[in-house]
Amino acid sequence: MTKYVFDLERSARGLRLNRFLHDLVHEEKRKRFLENPEEAMKDLTGEEKDMVRRLDWKALQDYGASFFCLEKLARTKGISNPQMVAAFRGETLEEFLKTRRVPGAR
Amino acid sequence: MARIIGGIGTSHVPTIGMAFDKGKHDDPDWKPLFQGYEPVRKWLAEKKPDVLFFCFNDHATTFFFDHYPTFALGVSEEYAIADEGVGKRKIPKLKGHAALSRHIAHSLVEDEFDISVFQDQPLDHGLHSPLTMMWPAQPDWPGRVVPLVVNVLQHPLPKPSRCYKLGKSIGKAIAAYPEDLRVVMVGTGGLSHQMIGERAGFNDEKWDLEFLDLIDRDPERLAGMTIADFAERGGNEGAEVIMWLIMRGALAPTARKVHQNYYLPMTTAMAVALFE
Repeated sequence: MTKYVFDLERSARGLRLNRFLHDLVHEEKRKRFLENPEEAMKDLTGEEKDMVRRLDWKALQDYGASFFCLEKLARTKGISNPQMVAAFRGETLEEFLKTRRVPGAR
Repeated sequence: MARIIGGIGTSHVPTIGMAFDKGKHDDPDWKPLFQGYEPVRKWLAEKKPDVLFFCFNDHATTFFFDHYPTFALGVSEEYAIADEGVGKRKIPKLKGHAALSRHIAHSLVEDEFDISVFQDQPLDHGLHSPLTMMWPAQPDWPGRVVPLVVNVLQHPLPKPSRCYKLGKSIGKAIAAYPEDLRVVMVGTGGLSHQMIGERAGFNDEKWDLEFLDLIDRDPERLAGMTIADFAERGGNEGAEVIMWLIMRGALAPTARKVHQNYYLPMTTAMAVALFE
């Protein structure tokens, strides 16, 4: 279980990244990120910027991002939770939806 | 005196609110969900409670990890709708009941639950995604809410037994409020789901149905479980069902489940249950 648990150690490691992601609840921050991502990410490290550019959900989560902060980035980029879950499973969205009872309910 | 007239346990998956906002009431993919809330909606319309006491979690929307409270009680007269990354839902601001909140805050601290309080903060889908299924938002909400925000995101989380005891203390606090108010307890979250890791997409219907049985018949047994037990059986994010224990703890021990609906369309099992 510990592998997935967002604990104080992960929270400390991911603080700068999570703060950037959390800030996307503000419309002006979303606009800035979409118009000029490099400027908006200037406080992040090179590694953090790279994961955000690639929208590498698994790497971001492994690094210390909270899923609930990642959701803010996903919404800003128009990505749904089923797409994120598929990425965590290493599947395409289509493959993931085949494992669901009501694939249209999204 | 104020009186708790019943309780509701409900999932708070954001897509519940999205389905409502998009008017999916008759869409075959969503109809079983809307139908499942119908008896609860009717019950609330008939009983006309003055206040819904909501036990829910913020999703790193309003509260952030630079200062993350374990139990935080809203004490405002009004709560805005939070922007979670796609703009605000077009529903009216929530009306609070500041006087009742203040009374509960005093009563809890007197009972040695040293909770945090917050005011003038927007609330996210943890509260209003299920709310619109049960309570009419237009032209305005028919009553008030008292929000209790629980940490189910950043470990260490409060123990399930602590949640159950907190519910009992909240129940005592409400019963001691001098004004004649009809209050309904709402516990939100779950049921089984995991959003991250290789086990993302995990569900366990058998456990979900067992949980729905135990929360009615033997909540003490659920309160005796650990967070790790809940995460193992219901998924990493499914452990948030401990918030149902706060609701259940506030109800009379004689309260019984009178309605239940279970629907598992996508990643999270969606349930609603009504207690009287």
